[in-house]
Amino acid sequence: MTVEVKPVRVVIVDDHRVFRSGVRAELAPAVADGRLEIAGEAGDVEEAVTVVAHTRPDVVLLDVHLPGGTIRPGGREVLTRSAGLPVRFLALSVSDAAEDVIAVIRAGARGYVTKSISGEELIAAVLKVADGDAVFSPRLAGFVLDAFGTSAGEVAVVDDELDRLSAREREVMRLIARGYAYKEVARELFISVKTVETHVSAVLRKLQLSSRHELTRWAADRRLL
Amino acid sequence: MSTSSGLISPAGGPPRPPLVRPRTDRAIGGVAAAVARHLGLPVRAVQAGFVVATLFGASGIVLYAWLWALVPEEAPLPPAGGPTGLGAVPDPATDEAVAFGSRIRVDLLAGAFLVTAGGVLAASRLGWAVRAGLVLPLLIMAAGAVIAYAQFDEVDRARWFARTGVANRSAVLRLALGVLLVVLGVLLLVLQQSDLLVLGRTLLAAIAVLAGVGVVLAPWGVRLWRDLDAERAARARESERADIAAHLHDSVLQTLALIQRHSQDGAEVVRLARAQERDLRGWLYAAVDADPTTMAARVAALTAEAEDVHGAVVEVVTVGDRPVDERTAALLAALREAVVNAARHADSPIRVYVESGPDGVEAFVRDRGPGFDLDAVPEDRLGVRESIIGRMERHGGSARVRSAPGEGTEVRLLLPERKEES
Repeated sequence: MTVEVKPVRVVIVDDHRVFRSGVRAELAPAVADGRLEIAGEAGDVEEAVTVVAHTRPDVVLLDVHLPGGTIRPGGREVLTRSAGLPVRFLALSVSDAAEDVIAVIRAGARGYVTKSISGEELIAAVLKVADGDAVFSPRLAGFVLDAFGTSAGEVAVVDDELDRLSAREREVMRLIARGYAYKEVARELFISVKTVETHVSAVLRKLQLSSRHELTRWAADRRLL
Repeated sequence: MSTSSGLISPAGGPPRPPLVRPRTDRAIGGVAAAVARHLGLPVRAVQAGFVVATLFGASGIVLYAWLWALVPEEAPLPPAGGPTGLGAVPDPATDEAVAFGSRIRVDLLAGAFLVTAGGVLAASRLGWAVRAGLVLPLLIMAAGAVIAYAQFDEVDRARWFARTGVANRSAVLRLALGVLLVVLGVLLLVLQQSDLLVLGRTLLAAIAVLAGVGVVLAPWGVRLWRDLDAERAARARESERADIAAHLHDSVLQTLALIQRHSQDGAEVVRLARAQERDLRGWLYAAVDADPTTMAARVAALTAEAEDVHGAVVEVVTVGDRPVDERTAALLAALREAVVNAARHADSPIRVYVESGPDGVEAFVRDRGPGFDLDAVPEDRLGVRESIIGRMERHGGSARVRSAPGEGTEVRLLLPERKEES
């Protein structure tokens, strides 16, 4: 009985105890087969900062709206105050206002999924984030497409351009918005899954670094449903 | 015996009793008692004040008479039972009636006061040894001050600013009277004296009068404005809270009750919860100015309907938006057909993606159901062929169905913008 891979250590942060135990239950299969390990739980900003600093997990499942602290949304404060730790964050939220989601992503979260996600998908998302990849739900992909004005035909000529998506990134985002898993995206575009992950990470970087004014405006006057 | 308690009750202290003349415990007209009770001073002191003021050009008597006329009498106590005693607080209804009555009387009797003032003036002209130049401005200033002060305890200031004619007229009338008094005072001062030096001095007095009135009115104005602002904000908050409560009651509480009643029927509970969630989300997050005739709104509506009717879960992502016209309406109809088809054949979440841009509209409906072979569908099955493909093609678009057994199904609807408009 040798353990070939160390389990990914996870901290669950949410202010509802019922929801935390629900997430625990959904992650249970992965905990049972040694892929995951629950390192801790937290119910508010202060507790989250302490638990994260203390346990140094690989991935933090972070509720966007968290009580405590001074910065809104609370999830953003946890991210800001945990900056510098070798910890990756995955935002988990009941469809929130776009401005809050974008705030958490821009504060450094590696992805955003809605709470309606299935247990299987959640496990996959956590493992993906632990590997350093970005996790985009269809909704977040739709948001990116909308905010970067791709429906108006704006496409970056150079891949490095921060304020626009390249044609390939746009294709990947559209497929994710249509509900394709990374694997399916790769098959559809005849590229490797690794390339898909590279594109998604690039989009995440643009989302975090872009100064595109529409991003903020869009987030302010529209809300994710 | 006399501590210096309660000269003027500090702001935030207990509310003053209204300025009304008591029916009992009064020496002449109850004016001194009223003022004393209202200001929290000993009655004796107020009475002494009136006497002293009378020594100076009879102003005490004039003020007393004026207040007698202006200050309303206390409402009669209920004949039997009811709270008795000095501290009995009149109930709001009578309070309001008193205030309203006083308002009309103020208007009428302020005029009477003017006549009195004229009489005093005439008397001084006839050789009465009243130093009118000093007394009259003081009197008029006092009158202005009392008029302004009377506003402090109005029961409902809101009526002041209400659009009803009566209230507005009385407000305007009062203002006009105040101005008239001041102007009269100035005129008297100027006309009485011809000496330049004295004129200068009287002008100074007039300015003092104006400044006095200003000082009296300024805090009142500021306070009134603040109170009104606070009241308005409180009303807005209250009505918003009531709206939220009403909505939660009509929606969430009702649904919770239904869920408890259907707790045995799992599918029904899911359907109820899902519908309620959608409703609440729409209410919480929807943009206030969302136009129900745009693509995004119509897509949301038709998928919601599919959820309700078929008990499926439909995840919708829309990018861009545009108003619905005849052609996009056709796309929506085809989209509805595709969603309903998916809801009927697949039980996993259905994903709808609609992108509206200047080049046209593209929509995808994807499910992870069993999938099917389009060529194997009999010709007479109108669903896909006619309602989706045929409809799209008639409106210059196209539809493509991609499906393989075990792989789920994806329907793609494309409606390019017409190149020529003519």
